[in-house]
Parts: sequence; C-alpha cells; structure tokens
Amino acid sequence: YVYSRPPPWSHTLPTIFVITPTYTRPVQKAELTRLANTFLHVQNLHWVVVEDSPRRTNLVSNLLEKAGLNFTHLNVETPKSLKVGLSWIPSHTPRGTLQRNLGLHWLRDSFSNTPPPEGVVYFADDDNTYSLELFEEMRYTRRVSVWPVAFVGGLRYESPKVSPAGKVVGWKTVFDPNRPFAIDMAGFAISIKLILEKPQASFKLEGVKGGYQETSLLKDLVTMDGLEPKAANCTKVLVWHTRTERPTLVNEGKRGFTDPRVEV
Amino acid sequence: NEELWVQSVLEMPKRRDILAIVLIVLPWTLLITVWHQSTIAPLLAVHKDDGGDSRRDLAAGLDSKEYCLSDRDIVEVVRTEYVYTRPPPWSDTLPTIHVITPTYSRPVQKAELTRLANTLLHVPNLHWILVEDSQRRTPLITRLLRDTGLNYTHLNVETPRNYKLRGDMRDPRIPRGTMQRNLALRWLRETFNKNNSQPGIVYFADDDNTYSLELFEEMRSTRKVSVWPVAFVGGLRYESPKVNAAGKVYGWKTVFDPHRPFAIDMAGFAVNLRLILQRSQAYFKLRGVKGGYQESSLLRELVTLNDLEPKAANCTKV
Repeated sequence: YVYSRPPPWSHTLPTIFVITPTYTRPVQKAELTRLANTFLHVQNLHWVVVEDSPRRTNLVSNLLEKAGLNFTHLNVETPKSLKVGLSWIPSHTPRGTLQRNLGLHWLRDSFSNTPPPEGVVYFADDDNTYSLELFEEMRYTRRVSVWPVAFVGGLRYESPKVSPAGKVVGWKTVFDPNRPFAIDMAGFAISIKLILEKPQASFKLEGVKGGYQETSLLKDLVTMDGLEPKAANCTKVLVWHTRTERPTLVNEGKRGFTDPRVEV
Repeated sequence: NEELWVQSVLEMPKRRDILAIVLIVLPWTLLITVWHQSTIAPLLAVHKDDGGDSRRDLAAGLDSKEYCLSDRDIVEVVRTEYVYTRPPPWSDTLPTIHVITPTYSRPVQKAELTRLANTLLHVPNLHWILVEDSQRRTPLITRLLRDTGLNYTHLNVETPRNYKLRGDMRDPRIPRGTMQRNLALRWLRETFNKNNSQPGIVYFADDDNTYSLELFEEMRSTRKVSVWPVAFVGGLRYESPKVNAAGKVYGWKTVFDPHRPFAIDMAGFAVNLRLILQRSQAYFKLRGVKGGYQESSLLRELVTLNDLEPKAANCTKV
C-alpha cells in the first residue's frame, strides 16, 4: 500500500471547489499551511486561492506547488477606496468580496464551453477550522446546503432552524435572525450547476450592511425552503469560525532583527 | 434373505439422505461463495477499517461500485491501485514520533485539536500523547481521539488550583502545561524499556501552534536533541539557534534573553526517546522557573549546547 497525498482523484465523486481569499500578513503562510494539511485529506478537492494583491506572490505560489493539491491560483487587488476602514460610509466592502467573486468568475469561465463536473462550491476563509466530515456532508448538494457554524454572531454556534420535515424554516441566531439568510460564509455550499445556471449571482460589492454579505449572493440563487440541511439536520458542528491572534513583533525594531530572506 | 432385505432397506435411506443433503447444501454453498466474493473485494481494498462510514468511503480509493470481481482481479486491484489511508500505514523502519500535547477545556479546544489532528494524520509512525489538564478524561477528547484513527495515548492530570484566589485560576507559579508534559514523560519511561530500544523521538506540540509536514521528517533523524527555528516567539518573526560553518549550534538569535542556556521555544526542539529513558530524572521544573526558562529546565539535564543537532537546513528555514 502506498500512502498518497492527496487521495487519488475519483471519476465518480463530485468535485469540491474551495474558494479561499487570502492576503499577505505575518500569519498567512501558517494559516495556508494548516489549511492545506486539512484539504490534503479530501478527495476530489480543487483549491481556488485568490490573493488580495496586485501580483501573485512567490510565497503562495511556492506553497501551492509544494502542497500537491489540485489548485488554481488567482489574484485581484481590492482598490484602496473599497478597503475597510477608509470609508466613512457605515456600509463597506467586507474583506474578501472581490476575491470570492473572481473565484466565481473563474469557475463560470472554465465551464462555459465544457460540461461542468458534478460538484459544489464552498467559500473557506484561511483562518477557520474545518473538520474532514464537513466536506463529505457538502459533496452531494443539489442546490444549496447549509449547516451550523461555531463562534459566529456572538454565540457558541449559529444554526439554521430545521423543521421535523427536514426543511429550513428560519435561523437560530441572536444577531438579526430576520436576515433572508442569517448564515455565515462558512455555513453553506452551492452546487456548481446552480452557479452556472445563474451567471449574474455574485456577492454585492458596495452598500452591504454588516451580516448581509451572504444574503447578497444567496438571494439570487435559492429561497429558504429550497435549502438542504446537512450535519444531521443541523444538529452537529463541523466548522469553527476561529480567529488567529496577531503575533507581536515588537522586538524586530525599526531595522528588523531577523533575516528578511527567511520566509515566515 | 430377511437379513439382506433389512440391510438393503437400511442402506437405501442412507443414499437417499445423502442425495437430499447434497441437494439442500449445494445451493447454500453457491450462495455463500458468491456473497463472500462480492463483499471481499471492497474489504481487501480498504486497508485499515477502523469503522466510521465516511472514512471507509474515503479509504477505498477504488470505485465503490466495483463488486463481483474474480479472485484474480481482486489480487491485481490490491497490487496496482494506490490506496489512500489515514493515517499512513505503520512502517517497521521509521522511528516513532511521540507527540506530547497538553490541552485544557475551553471553547476552541475541539477546533484546535481537530485541525492539529488533521495535520498529524499525514505523518507516518506518529503516536499522539494527549494530556488533559483535568480531573478526569473528558468524553469530548475521548471521542475525538477515537474518531481520528490516530495511534494515541490519552492521559490527564489536573494542575492544582490556587485556592487563595476565587474562580478557575490555576497556580500561576506553575507554567501551563508543565505537569501534563511531565506526566507524558513519566508514561514513556514506564512504558518503554531503555534496553529494548524501539527507536523514537519525543516532541512537545502545543494544541494551538501550526506545524508543517516537513518538520516531522526533519526531527525523525534526531540522535540526541535536535533544534530549529520557531516563528512568532520572543516578539520576533522567528527565533533561531545560531549555527556556525561547521554545523554546530553556538548561540541563540533572540532579542529576549539570548543568554539563557537554551533560548528556544517548546516547539523548537525534539529529543531522542533513548535519551529520555536514560536520563530518567529529567523533567520540566515545576516551580521557581523564570519566564522563558522552562525549556532550559529540561534540556540542561539532557544535553549540552555542543551536542545539539541543527535541522531545517542548518536552521535557515521556518
């Protein structure tokens, strides 16, 4: 028996396209490393990494080459005018929007002339934590599937409300449960077929209220009663919205103490 | 004549019985053979079936629709298909890496251990020693460990609380994780015989760090104590041992107290199991340890600066 990483591609399993926006900061390589270590267990996974940068960086290029995953490496820089914090308007472009949209665009482009594979699209931020079970739950999504997410909305977890008949009837959240889709980015997956059927569906860039980013995409794709609840009818937590602490680099000083040629 | 007749009467039912038995048994034999063949094909393809449906589906790198193979096909399938298993099959030649992880209950515990396990599941011959800071081994950890499929040992020891302060405050004079790491060292010494040398490496891996897969292969060749750079410690992008042209460690590239005997983070070194067993009194000091000196408290009992083996391209890679 030979141990291979990732597992061999299968011609029968639906493909999982994972779209991950990422940006340069000290912990980027660490985050992408441990994310890759998780993805390397998942069969038929195609990782679409979209850098928020003017050019694809060597750090990410090399990491993707070395990992051995099936990948696509894109980049698009968020214009400074749209970046968080610089706008005085209360609504702003949440981070990663342009990058996720580019990922969707690439997908639509790639399968404009060829029949698309069976599969799903999942938005995975580079600092969250994903169980391996999650990917098997989302793999057989017909339209849009949903499940609970830990550590969002100021709760241990937020979850869709599922009726005994197995239909989503609402949202178990404290923060604005009346949103059309009161769900975190990490809490849903969309079938490729649906993405290609509705080529106009994208994340809204500007004028999006906090917490409404997911809605801005999903409203053009599906209605609440068309959602497929996963993770044992949304009773299990398979993904955690973890956040990574920023490392203190005070001892680098003005000139920098460590060798900048050593990649971190 | 009567005797003959009696004898033939006795014999005839025998032959009829035999025929009846054959006619009844034969279809069952055929049925069992066919059933056996159809189930054995996917079973042979799955390497280590530790249960868990989702993993079984993944473990068969083959098309799960392929049943009904002949004997010859089954043998060929096993020989030519690469089979993905998790963790990788145990090897008789690789030294075992014993990873000691102290852990404690808090909201993110399960998330941290999940992603750590996802990394460890790629490393061959890895033995995870998880030590809970708790009164009892918790069901959460018990279940998590079992579901990963990793080779593991589950221990626990509770760091005494500081009774003077109210609330869940552990004794601040004991650095976090110390008692747990020491318990694991004791377990190793009680479990392994220092004369019966099963090659092994001991590594202390906290549950919130990030580890590359390359790191584990770097530490596998440790003869005494090996060292390498660690990112995001000491207020720097990374701290690193200083290595001279001859490949020997002669100092520490740190801002914070570079004159410590071992100015290195817990994640920056590994120790050969033989050394742990030989120096059976070497433990992390529990109390009276200055900040940043925990690692030194153990390492000074095991090795001198001169004996350190620099890894990661002579400590130039993080």
